[in-house]
This record gives sequence, structure tokens and C-alpha cells, in this order.
Amino acid sequence: MTALREARGGAGAVGTEAVGAASGNGVTSRRDLLRKAGVALAAVAVAEILETSEALSVVHAEALPGGSSAGAKPAVSVPAAPLASPGSEWRSNVLRMQDELAAALKKPLAERRWGMVIDRRKCVGCMSCTVACKAENGLPPGVVYRPVIEEEMGTYPAVGRRFTPRPCMQCENPPCVPVCPVHATYRQPDGVVVIDYEQCIGCRYCITACPYGARGFDFGEYYTTRTPEVQPYELSPSHEYGKKWVRKGERSPVGNARKCQFCLHRLNAGMLPACVTTCIGGATYFGDLKLAGSLVSEMIGQESASRLRDELGTRPAVYYLG
Amino acid sequence: MNTKGKEPQAGRSKPRKAHTISRRQFIKSSAFLGAAALAAAEAPWALGQVKALAAGAGQAEGQDYDLAKATNVIYGACLQCNTQCTMKGKLLDGVLVKVDGNPYSPQNMLPPIKYSTSLDEAARVDGKLCPKGQSTIQTLYDPYRLRKVLKRAGPRGSNRWKVIGFDQAISEITNGGKLFVDAGEDRAVSGMKDVLAVRDAALLKELSGDAAKVAKKEMTPEAFRAKHQDHLDLLIDPEHPDFGPKNNQFVFLAGRIEPGRSDFSKRFVIGGAGSVNWFEHTTICEQSHHVAYKWTTAQYDKGAWSPGPNHMKPDYINSSFVIFWGTGAFEANFGPTPMAEHVTRALVERGLKIAVVDPRLSKTAAKADIWVPVKPGDGDLALALGMIRWIIDHGRYDQKYLENANKAAATADGENTWTNSAWLVKVDKNGHSGALLRAGEVGLGLPGKDAKDLFVVSRGGSLLAVDPNDTKAAVEGDLAVDTVVGGITVKSAFQVLRDEAFAKDMAAYATLAGVDAGLIERLANEFTSYGRKAAIDFYRGAVQHTNGYYTAQAIIALNLLIGNVDWKGGLSTGGGAWAAMGGKSNQPFDLGKHPGKLPAFGLKLTREGSAYEKSSIFQGYPAPRQWYPFTTDVYQEVIPAAGAGYPYPIKVLWLHKGTPALACPGGTEQIKILTDPSKVPLFIATDIVIAETSMYADYIFPDLSFAERWGFLGSPPSTVVKTTKVRQPMAPAIPEMVKVAGEEMPISMESAMLALADRLRLSGLGKDAFGPASDLLRPEDFYLKAVANIAAGDKDGDAVPAAGDRELEILRQARRSMQKGVFDEARWRKAVGDANWANTAYVLNRGGRFEDASKAYAGELLGHPFGKLLNLYVEPVATARDAVTGDFYSGVGKYEPVKNANGKPVADKDFPFALITFKEIFGGQSRTPGNYWAQNALLPENFVLMNAKDAANLGVADGDMVVLKSRTNPNGIMDLGQGGKEPVKGRVKITEGIRPGVVAASWHYGHWAYGARDVVVDGKVVKGDRRRGTGLCPNPVMLLDEHMKTVSLTDPIGGSASFYDTRVKVEKAGA
Repeated sequence: MTALREARGGAGAVGTEAVGAASGNGVTSRRDLLRKAGVALAAVAVAEILETSEALSVVHAEALPGGSSAGAKPAVSVPAAPLASPGSEWRSNVLRMQDELAAALKKPLAERRWGMVIDRRKCVGCMSCTVACKAENGLPPGVVYRPVIEEEMGTYPAVGRRFTPRPCMQCENPPCVPVCPVHATYRQPDGVVVIDYEQCIGCRYCITACPYGARGFDFGEYYTTRTPEVQPYELSPSHEYGKKWVRKGERSPVGNARKCQFCLHRLNAGMLPACVTTCIGGATYFGDLKLAGSLVSEMIGQESASRLRDELGTRPAVYYLG
Repeated sequence: MNTKGKEPQAGRSKPRKAHTISRRQFIKSSAFLGAAALAAAEAPWALGQVKALAAGAGQAEGQDYDLAKATNVIYGACLQCNTQCTMKGKLLDGVLVKVDGNPYSPQNMLPPIKYSTSLDEAARVDGKLCPKGQSTIQTLYDPYRLRKVLKRAGPRGSNRWKVIGFDQAISEITNGGKLFVDAGEDRAVSGMKDVLAVRDAALLKELSGDAAKVAKKEMTPEAFRAKHQDHLDLLIDPEHPDFGPKNNQFVFLAGRIEPGRSDFSKRFVIGGAGSVNWFEHTTICEQSHHVAYKWTTAQYDKGAWSPGPNHMKPDYINSSFVIFWGTGAFEANFGPTPMAEHVTRALVERGLKIAVVDPRLSKTAAKADIWVPVKPGDGDLALALGMIRWIIDHGRYDQKYLENANKAAATADGENTWTNSAWLVKVDKNGHSGALLRAGEVGLGLPGKDAKDLFVVSRGGSLLAVDPNDTKAAVEGDLAVDTVVGGITVKSAFQVLRDEAFAKDMAAYATLAGVDAGLIERLANEFTSYGRKAAIDFYRGAVQHTNGYYTAQAIIALNLLIGNVDWKGGLSTGGGAWAAMGGKSNQPFDLGKHPGKLPAFGLKLTREGSAYEKSSIFQGYPAPRQWYPFTTDVYQEVIPAAGAGYPYPIKVLWLHKGTPALACPGGTEQIKILTDPSKVPLFIATDIVIAETSMYADYIFPDLSFAERWGFLGSPPSTVVKTTKVRQPMAPAIPEMVKVAGEEMPISMESAMLALADRLRLSGLGKDAFGPASDLLRPEDFYLKAVANIAAGDKDGDAVPAAGDRELEILRQARRSMQKGVFDEARWRKAVGDANWANTAYVLNRGGRFEDASKAYAGELLGHPFGKLLNLYVEPVATARDAVTGDFYSGVGKYEPVKNANGKPVADKDFPFALITFKEIFGGQSRTPGNYWAQNALLPENFVLMNAKDAANLGVADGDMVVLKSRTNPNGIMDLGQGGKEPVKGRVKITEGIRPGVVAASWHYGHWAYGARDVVVDGKVVKGDRRRGTGLCPNPVMLLDEHMKTVSLTDPIGGSASFYDTRVKVEKAGA
């Protein structure tokens, strides 16, 4: 929390330049404030969700839009087809990414590298991804694969809010893997860190080891446990890892560690992860980072992208813009 | 710590594996809601589940992704908010397990897939959907859903119930009598058979015609009584024939009832039962905004103004500057799913700038270039008038556009719309601008036109007659006119607006708005810097004030000053919809047909749509309660009017999917009326759960959730292509199956109406309801016919393709787990006829009909433009008087403080904080406490948001409990009658993102029913779920009107209930 206060102070200092609210004719736009404060606060957000005061930082921070000065909007060129001419339409990023997904699936597993890009400038903090993920993966109370971390920065009226969705980072060097005593969790050749529910003994070492707080434990709770009737959707199978899992009694995944696996079961059916398709702001992109010309590969190449806590050497496959 | 996105963890000490509730236990425990035994036919999901579990298959085999199969997909429509997004439901073993956006629909994809895409292909594309939509499953499978009819077994509100049969309930409601002896009440209740006194359409027509003559003084009341002496007992009050027949004492009050269901229920209430008192809820939403738009778009024909479209939205994606005023793109509005990506992509990829006017830093404000934390109350209106003043003062309005006085002039300039800015308005000796000058009054005319129907402009000192829709002779007029013609003082409409805007200087507006004058200038300057590619989007926040209509009109005037309507990047009236109700020559069914329809007549209980002066109870000013000639559905006033018996008492209240006690400002005051049998003798409800207001009912019929029922509707204007959405059952029905006139169906609003119509022999429902051999025996007979109309299109050659064999098989397979009372293919085919079935199936299989995205624009214009007159000046409003004060209203937005109905301003200086509400995107107003994934998990409790400076002054810290108190609720108490008394209490959250002096509470919490508390059914206690009752609902402390006492402050013109004009004290409370 100390880190949070300091960061707020820092953002406040930025905010004293004043935005054009009641304080008068300030010329710094509110979005500039977010850009500036972004560097200092990105780390705090993660600290908060982890309930730890450990200082975190963001690599590539110098490349964040916040590093630039106020004024003109960055000349962003998200490589989605722009509006071509009157009467024409925007190209659907979802359809483009789905086409790229189909192309990637034709490659051998080891030649794919699934990755995600989250554009915080477009994240509207709706948390639909959080909920869609819950439904898609049959998550119990207390297990959240994709929380959205909300930050407030600055002092009235120069105040900003920012939202950071935090899925599993699918690290190239995942700290959660080596601590598993039974080798139940491992990294697939396509980069997705998975859990073999049949092998997992529920020791929860991996939960502690993850520096992003991306893993949870399935205690076997239902949302409707203390109501007149446990509801059928909680007893229906989910499709994680391409199998059907009914959370019932002590059967897996009850008693297991659980985590985001980029909706592998959907990928293999040619569909994008649930968090991507439901994103109302169009802020989450997904695809094969190794597929030439894919939307995600262009974005991380052309944009000032950053990764969370990259200094740990975890090498996440999740990138952030903004 | 920020709790969002994080849930309270279950105990972390050790893994538990102890959850062994058996299906049998669930079934047993659900008995209170009427499911004495869940027969397999009623719950097919149970079958699949039980089989899977019996096989011991915690992990079943198979790599297939079931949810990508078209045979597991049914497209429906959401109703977690009124955007009513199209959605894609996915079923597994008869359970709706996942909901996503419909990829065919422009609401869910930017742009959507082609309408012709195969169902198999579409099954693999999911569209976007907001968190409320994603939580649909939890509204459907709410453990507190009702399955059978409940009748109260104690005083109203005691929450003691007994389960009764559907037929018994219908009989009791029909016949009346001593219905509540078991609850200790000896009184006899009038049944519907007595209340619906007139069932003869011819007789009613005669009574109606003569009552109108009495109102117009063409017949004396005495003559009326003499002529109808044999039928006087059919009237509410023979002294006042304009009250109408006793049938009007049956009142239908719906909350968010949706298109399709509105049509169905009006058929029953108005045409069948002969009551004028059909109401819905929009005045507690944003009605004044609609009312201002519909008079802005009203067209003049043969002496009368006909209101037009009531809603416009910016074409965000092509805009350069958008002001969100009292609303946003990402939280509520109309609505986040279709709007958000238009705005985010324009912001990041197109250089859109946005400003947000809101005392709270909303999620939209967080992305804005300019945040305007306006002062609640009259701040919005002052800000709008200040902008108008600056724009006029600096000549930043589009003079050329505004000078065009008719269609020909607009066309000559390449414009698509024109305004009445230059038309002349007559000013009376008191300086009031009233009626528009007619050509005949100054000796002008046009060949072949009635001079009474022509208007007048002044151009270079000459007067010219104006036919608004003349396509040949262009007429332009001067904007600055203030003169006397033929002895009549006149001003141009523009001049009237100018004078109202110049009534105060910029400093005064800045003070009232609570912002620097420099900021008002900056907003006005930006707004007028992008030609037509700028627009103001406004909604609830700007208009739920007592001056809401004037604020709306002033904001619309700002849009008119830059002439942005119909332009790409400007304001859109939307893409329109196919006519579902039929009536076009190529369409198979005219659902308006209703042989024997009763011509309902009489004053509505809320005195809406009527002028006080023209009523038989006009007794000079002030009227005892307000009258609302310009609006409809004054929701907050229905029960208070019944309480006051003004203009007349009621006999039967049917509350449908509504919760006025929770949802109206000061709504808990209505509980006193609802629990008084002398004011509300019979109170029935249709609801999916026992909710905050239905808990006071005598009977509750279980209803279908939006995931199980039918409907059809267009899209809000943020969708610029033509769209008609279809709501259809996406899952087996939860309520009990019953037989109505031999047809099996789940209990619902529709089945209750069908059964009552059958019992009472009402027209419009049942056999031959649409005409010979055209029955309405079950919901599909109505709703599927509408789908067939949509499939046929609006003209010859507009029909959708016919579904082929594969598509018909998918339709069948996807519904394989439905009860026969929900899906019976033969019965569905019969409803539309074999000839229409395959086309109907094509639309059902896609959840509606969606025009191709390429039709969105036509050059620089929108593809579906409005193309008509827009009224800067609203004549009908300017010529009417307020029924309480007797003062004239204004034809343009003018400054007015927050005031009571009697005109007395609301000051409340002893109450230091302005109270506002807002919505989190994951919550609806009243129906999402059981959404455990969304509202419950994402924010388990709401807060009283307060600026850090205010918190420091008050000495409160984050998490402290505080009580809110107001002048009309000085103790900060919710008095729930039998439900007890509780403080309006919540936890403080300190933020920098709110204007000092303002406190805000999100508006989804503080439930005292809806599964939050224990109820007793058939003598057994059913435990409530405490998670559903957390946080606070701020509405009970909102101000009541000083003149009317039992209803909230209300905008007399737009009818909006005031949500943002209350000042409160915030006092520290114990935990």
C-alpha cells in the first residue's frame, strides 16, 4: 500500500498541470495524464491484486506512450484495416484473427507461439472478459482467471482511471512449473502453460510461485451452494483442455490448481479465447506471435508494447499497449 | 484495496472436498417455489445431468467442443438492460451454459458476419457481449425463481405465502369475493368480472363519443346522463364521464416491458379489457430526453403536430468530437455492447476527441479529453444555456443551415434537414412567446394551401409564407427578428432561444454549472470546430431533473445549431426496423387486427396526455396533483395517484416485471399505499422472483425470464443499419406447465392473460382473435406471426431466403430439450402456416434480421437519414400551462431552478451533499443481485463515493458506515411496512474521481427482497441469500414533491422522476 500512496503522489504531481475541468483553462488532456502516470502505476496495479507491497516494474517502460510528452495524440497505427472510403465498412478484427488462427493451426504445435496483446487505451473496464471466462471455464467462487485491475490516479479534478486485464502470462520461463512436485503443470510447445488435472495433487505451490497471482484453487464451492438449489449451470461440464469436466464431489478440477490456458479448447476448435471475442472495447488481441503478418505479431512489433514484470525473466506471452 | 475483479476467497486453510449435495436434495429444497417434483419433462437438463453423474463421469470423453455446434445454439435477445442486445445462447444437455454475442448482429460485431453465412460457420464465431449479458444464465437459473403461483397467507408484505393452482388463481381474480379470509381479512374484493364492467364495443364507443362531446362542451353533463341513464353504473363517476368506464379501474403497471410484450399486453389491457391504464417505466429512466426529441422531430400536418422519433445518437465512429452528457459509452446508456468499440476504435485509431459531463469520473470520463464535473441539479441546464450563449455570441452556429425554412431551401443547399429557427413566434403582452404565427394572420398565403397551416418568416424586412414541406419554392428567413407585424409582436424562434440564453451572463452560468466560464467556452469552441462531425449524446444524467425537458431541449438545440442531424459523424435517428406487427401488403399477418376491440377511453390515472383545463375536474389553479399533457407512462405517479384517488380510485393493480417501491425515487413511500386494501383492493403481480414490490402483492404469477420468452424489437439509433431483433426461448422453461384452453404452456404474463381472457370472454385473445380461423391461443400464435412478417420484409421482393433442410434440422435439433409446451414444431408451423415456415425459420435461426453493414452510409450522409423538419421551437409546449402553477411552459429550453410542482425552488441548504446515482456496467437497476458471476463477484457491495476532501472534513475513512438523510426522509429510514424499518446506510469509498460536495451510489444494491431475505412458503422458511442484500439503495432518501407529497419531484413536461436533485446529510453510523 505504501507503493500505492507514493504512486498516487507521483500521479498527483503530474496532475497539477491541471486538466480543463473546474480548475480552468488547462490544456493538458486527460488522456495525457493517463499516459504520464501509466509508467509509475502499471506496477502498482499488479502489486495490489497480489496483495503484496513488493515493488514491481514494467520493462519497456521507456517505450510506453506515457513516455512521450503531452500534446498531439500518438500516431497510432493499429494494423486493422482503416475505413477506406465512404460507405465502406470497418474490418472485423475478430474475423481477421480467426482467419489467422486457422492458418496457425495448420502449423506444427512447436512452431506456434500463442500470444495476447491487450490495448489498455481501448479497455473500458467492463469486466465482461472476467465473466465470460468464468462461464466458459466453469470457474467456482474465488477462482478468477482474468481479473481486471482498476487504478485511480491523480487528484481532483486531474484524475485518471485505468484498467488492466490480467490473464495468465503464459511465460516462456514460468516460475509455477518447476515448483510442481508431480510435474502436473508444464509448458506446451505452443507456449501455453497447462495443468494436468489428473496429476495435480492440490499442493498449491504453484499458486504461491506465480509472480502474477494468475493461479487459483478450486475448493469445490458453487455460487449457489447456500441457496435453495444448486443450479444446473454449475453442474454442467466445462471443456477445458478439450475434455468435459463436471465439478462434482472430489472429482477434478475440484481440489486442483486452476489457471487461464488461453481457452485451448476453443483454439483447437478454431475459435478465439472467450475474453477476446466478448471484449466490448475491442481491446484484446490474440494469435500466433510467430505467424508472419498476424495482427498480434504486427502489434508487438510496431507498437511500444510492454510486458508485466519482464525483469524477472519470465518472458510473458501477454503484451500491453497503453 | 481494490476489490474489483477479485472475489472473497473461500477459506484458504486447507482444500475441502465436501460438497455432496445430491440432485434429490436440490429438488426437495426447491419445492417452496412450487416444484413439488421436477418431472423430467419439466426439467430435461436434470435428465442429462443425472445420467452423466450416474455414469461416474466427472470427466467425460470426447474432444469435440459442443458449444461450437450449430445444433447447440439458439439466438435470442438480452434484457439485462434496455439495449436488449442480440445474443447467442449455447446449450448442453438442455442447460443454457454459455451466452455470447450474435455474430450476425451489428450490436455484437463491428462489422458483423454476412446475414447469409451458414449456421455452422456462425456457430464458430462469437460476438461481443457485456458482463450483464454474459451473466444471463444466472438470471435464468436463479435459485429464487418462482415456478408456481403464490398467494399471500398473511398481511401484504409479510412474505408469508402459499402455493396455489394456476386455475384457482385465475378463478379468484376473475370472480373476487372474500379471497383473504385465511390471511385474516373479511373484506370482499371486486373480481375482474365486475371491474371490467363494459365488454360491448359498440356501447363503449357510444359512451366514449358522448363523453368527448361533454369535454368539448358540445353536450351538457345532464344531457349525457339522460341519454345514458341505463348505463351510468358502468362509469367510474357519472358526474365525470371523462373518467371513462369502470374498466379503467383495472391498472396494468409494467416495469421494463419490451416491444412484443408491450404489444401483446396492450391487446389484453386496452383492446380486450377496455382500460386506458396501461403503463411502463420510462419516466424513471430518461423519459424527458425522449419527450424533447419527439417534439423536436414532430411534423405539422393539417393543423396538428405529430411527434416523431424520440431518440438520436451520434455516429461515434465517424465523429471528430462527441460530448457525452450525463451518460457515457462504456457503462449504461444505449448501450455499451454496441457503442464501446465504435468509440474506442475511433479514439485510438481515428483521433476522436470526447468530453464527458458528469459529476463523477465515469469509465468514459476516464478516456475523455475533457471531463466536466458539473454541479448536479440545475448545472446541466446552465451549462447548456451557457454554451448556446457563447455559440450565438461568437457566431459559431451554422447560419446558412438555420435560415432554411422549408425543404426546398434545404435541398438547394445540399442539406437533408431544416429547422423552424426562422419561423416567427407570437409574443403576448406579458412577453411570453407562444404560438407560431400563421400566414393567414398577416394576410399571406400560398396557392392551394390553407393559410391556417402555413407559417411565416421575415426576410430582409418582408414577410414570407412557409409550407414546411414545399419541395419547389425555397424559403429562407432571417434569424434575428424581434418586431411587430400587423399589430402582433413577433420574434423568430431563433431569437426566442437567443433571448433565453442571454438572460444570464457567462459568469452566472458558470456559477450555476459549478465550472469555470473558460471551460464552458472551451466546450462550445470545440463543439463548433468540426463541422457536422460533432455531436452531443445525452441521456439519463442530464434529464432526470425537474427541469429535465428544458435541459434536453437546450442540448438538442446545441446539436441543431451545428446542423449535424443525418450526417456521417453527426447525429443519427438509427437504421430503422422491419415492421414486425405487419400490415404491409406483402406481409402475411396484420397483428393489429382485433375484432371486437374495445375502444377504451377516459383520463389516465396519471393525467398524462390530457390537459387539465379540458377536463371536467378543472377548478382553476393549482390542480391538486400535476397533469402531464406532453408525456406518457408517468411510472412514479401511478400508485401515488391511486393512493390519492385522483382523478379516481382504482380496483385492481397488475404489476408486471416492475418494482416501483425500489426503483422510484422515494419509492418506499408507495409501500403505504400498496399495503392499504382500501387504496389497492386487489394486487396481482407477474414476476420471476418475489421482488421488492411484488412481495406486497396478493398473488404472484411466475413469469418467464428474457431467456425463455418471445419478443421482437428494433435497435437503438446507435445502430445505423436496419435491424429487427427476435427474442425467443433459448432454454426450457422454468415455470410450471399449465393448460390454457387446452394448450400447454409455461406460466407467464402471456398465459395469465390468455387464461383471464378465456375466462372473461375478452376479445383479442383466444379463438378467432385476429379474425375468422386466425387464433391467438398461445404465445407463438402472436410472436411467431411477427417473425413471419419480419421474414417477409417491408415490400415485395424483400423476403429473406427460405431455410433449407440443414437449417430446419438445426432449428429442430437445437430445441431438442425443450418441453412440448415451449417447442412443438408442428404447432409452430401451424402458427405461421406452411408457406411461411421456412422463411420464418431463417430469421429464427439468426435471432432476427440485419441489414448488410454496407448500407450504413450513403456518401457523407447516413444510409437511413431522417430528412425532415426539426423544431428548434416547440409550439405545443409553448402554448400549454402548468396545471399546478398555471404558468405557460416555454417553447425553448430556458433556465429554471430545481423546483417542486408548485413552483417553489428546492434549496435544502442545510443538506450539504448533492446525491447522484450511476450504474456499474455489470449491474442492472433492480434485477441483477442474483448474477453471482457479475454483480456479486465483481463488486460484492456498493459504496457511498465521496471526494477525499469531503471525507476529511467529515472525518470519515474508507469503509466507514454512513447514513443518508434528506429533508423528506429526515431519519434516513426505509419503511418497508411488514418488512420492517431500516436505515439507508452504506459504506464510504473515498475517491478523487468525484466533484467535492457530491456523493454517489451505484444503483443495483440495497435489496430487501429478490432472494435477499427469508420468506415463508406453505409454512416453511426459505432462507434468503445475504449476498443479494448487500450495499445500499439511495432511492428511499430522494426528495418527495412538496405539493403532491407521495411522489418524487417530477419534470412536469417530460415526466421524468428526479434522481439528481436531492441534497443529503451524510452521518457516520455504527458498523
